[in-house]
Amino acid sequence: MSVAAHSVERARPEITGEIDKAGYVLVAFFAIPFFLFNILPVLFGFYVAFTRWSIVGAPKWEGLNNFTRAFNDHWVAVAFKNILFYGVIIVPSVTVLGLVFALFVNKRYPLSGLARTLFFAPTVVSATVIGLVWVWLLDTQFGLVNHYLSFFGIDDVPWLTSTRWSLVGVSIASIWWDLGLAFVLFLAALQDIPGEINDAAIVDGANRWQRFRYVILPHLRPVISMVVTLQLISTLRIFSQVYVMTNGGPAGSSSSPIHYIYSIAIVRNLFGYASAIAILLFALILAVTFAQRFLLKERA
Amino acid sequence: MRWLERELEERRLNRWDFVIWPIGIAVAVLWALPFVWMVSTSFKFPADVMTQDIEWLPSRVTLDNYIKVFEYPVIRWGINSLIQAAAATFLCVLFGAMAGYALARMNFPGRNLLFAVFLASLMIPVEVSVIPLLLAFVKVGWASSYQALILPAIGNVFSVYIFRQFFLNFPSELEDAAKMDGAGPFNLFFRIALPLARAPAIAASVIIFTLNWNSFLWPLLVTFDESMKTLPVGVAAFTPVVGTRTQIEGYSVAMAAVTILSIPSLMLFCFLQRYFIQGISQGSIKQ
Repeated sequence: MSVAAHSVERARPEITGEIDKAGYVLVAFFAIPFFLFNILPVLFGFYVAFTRWSIVGAPKWEGLNNFTRAFNDHWVAVAFKNILFYGVIIVPSVTVLGLVFALFVNKRYPLSGLARTLFFAPTVVSATVIGLVWVWLLDTQFGLVNHYLSFFGIDDVPWLTSTRWSLVGVSIASIWWDLGLAFVLFLAALQDIPGEINDAAIVDGANRWQRFRYVILPHLRPVISMVVTLQLISTLRIFSQVYVMTNGGPAGSSSSPIHYIYSIAIVRNLFGYASAIAILLFALILAVTFAQRFLLKERA
Repeated sequence: MRWLERELEERRLNRWDFVIWPIGIAVAVLWALPFVWMVSTSFKFPADVMTQDIEWLPSRVTLDNYIKVFEYPVIRWGINSLIQAAAATFLCVLFGAMAGYALARMNFPGRNLLFAVFLASLMIPVEVSVIPLLLAFVKVGWASSYQALILPAIGNVFSVYIFRQFFLNFPSELEDAAKMDGAGPFNLFFRIALPLARAPAIAASVIIFTLNWNSFLWPLLVTFDESMKTLPVGVAAFTPVVGTRTQIEGYSVAMAAVTILSIPSLMLFCFLQRYFIQGISQGSIKQ
């Protein structure tokens, strides 16, 4: 994404002159653990996906069985359908709120430094903190959220304990957790906009909305696309909040692919099948990444 | 509110800002309230927690919840977390600096390909490698060990990336002078380049430490023994949702546990905010 785009610009010229053998040594310390623990397992996973394998015993080659099984598995369908809903709720919320908050902080109002800290703070704590705090806030009977909603005449909402609301409950916590990253990326992009452009627009008599629409927004287009993709990918990988808040329940209503992979592998000890579902998820993530790259190129 | 009007005046704000400013600040405060509620609940008596009366400041304060938390092996979990995060950060930042330097400033065939592979790996979600990695660690007999917690965390490409960017813009005069004096490539890196790379080292350390301190999925999978759990994994069992998992204690104890868990990350963030934000905007790195 942005990382890749950056580095292409700065790629160094071709190698000329003497070769530094020491370079290989310096790289090796990083590259060896990287290949052993980050790349090799992915390749190994492609093999495991075609086998039946529990933690004890030897793998048994099964061909495409795990994949056909996945396509017929009701719970796989539920998990993938759930991330669609998570995506629909979380991605636009994080993008829009992140941008609005960044616009506010960027204006350098009094106390905007404090506001910046507060908006970013939830992003630095662990999923366990996010999960437990929101389980408490969203408690049906005693939670703060329902307490204040009751002032508006809204009856107790079973946020995490009903099949109808569990996706929304987990999404609320996720938005609070994920917003900081989008916020900071937007803020960095806003601060890159040269002040003169904005000043010129003011001199030309552009109002707030016009300046946003014709000056700021075009500048932000690449960042918006990046935030949407990053958030989409992190939503596809949603796990820890689900695990902590609802453990996928009630009745699988808040489960996600990774949560299902986790329970298949750990609870039911089916490592081959779990790997096959992981590969399906991987394919989906790659598709999203390439779609984003393709769309970005089209525009540019 | 005269000071405010004056300040708004100086910042070239108009009357719309008088509407936007209070709303924005209110939302920012609202954003932090879950943390306030967390801390407040952690000091309450359990009887004052499950009630319809909302007390933002507890009327009666107790430390019992914190004492209860320490009846579980949280100190052990904390030590595990600390060892894991510190070791992984140290190795990842040191090796990342070495690799970043070599990729930016040294001539060798395969250099650009290697960097391309590093970057391409960002598209592979860790979750894909997690199950086979677990199988491998179990087969080798390394499940529930520090090796298992630390080794996979070394390969974080963000560290290489941030150092490579830094060394690309590094002035070559110092290197040339040292070369004249007969310094070899390792001396050049360890004595000249590395000591000058403090800024990227801090930014990378802060981000990678926090990622490791908070990491969840891998430690959850790989630690079978209670004594090898990390803090986030151990504390996760305090979830008091009835019907999903066993309810250990009430909300007040759970909030004491997460307060303890969130202190290191929040403190680090408050003191080193600049590096967090610098790190994030250098590249997108949330694992």
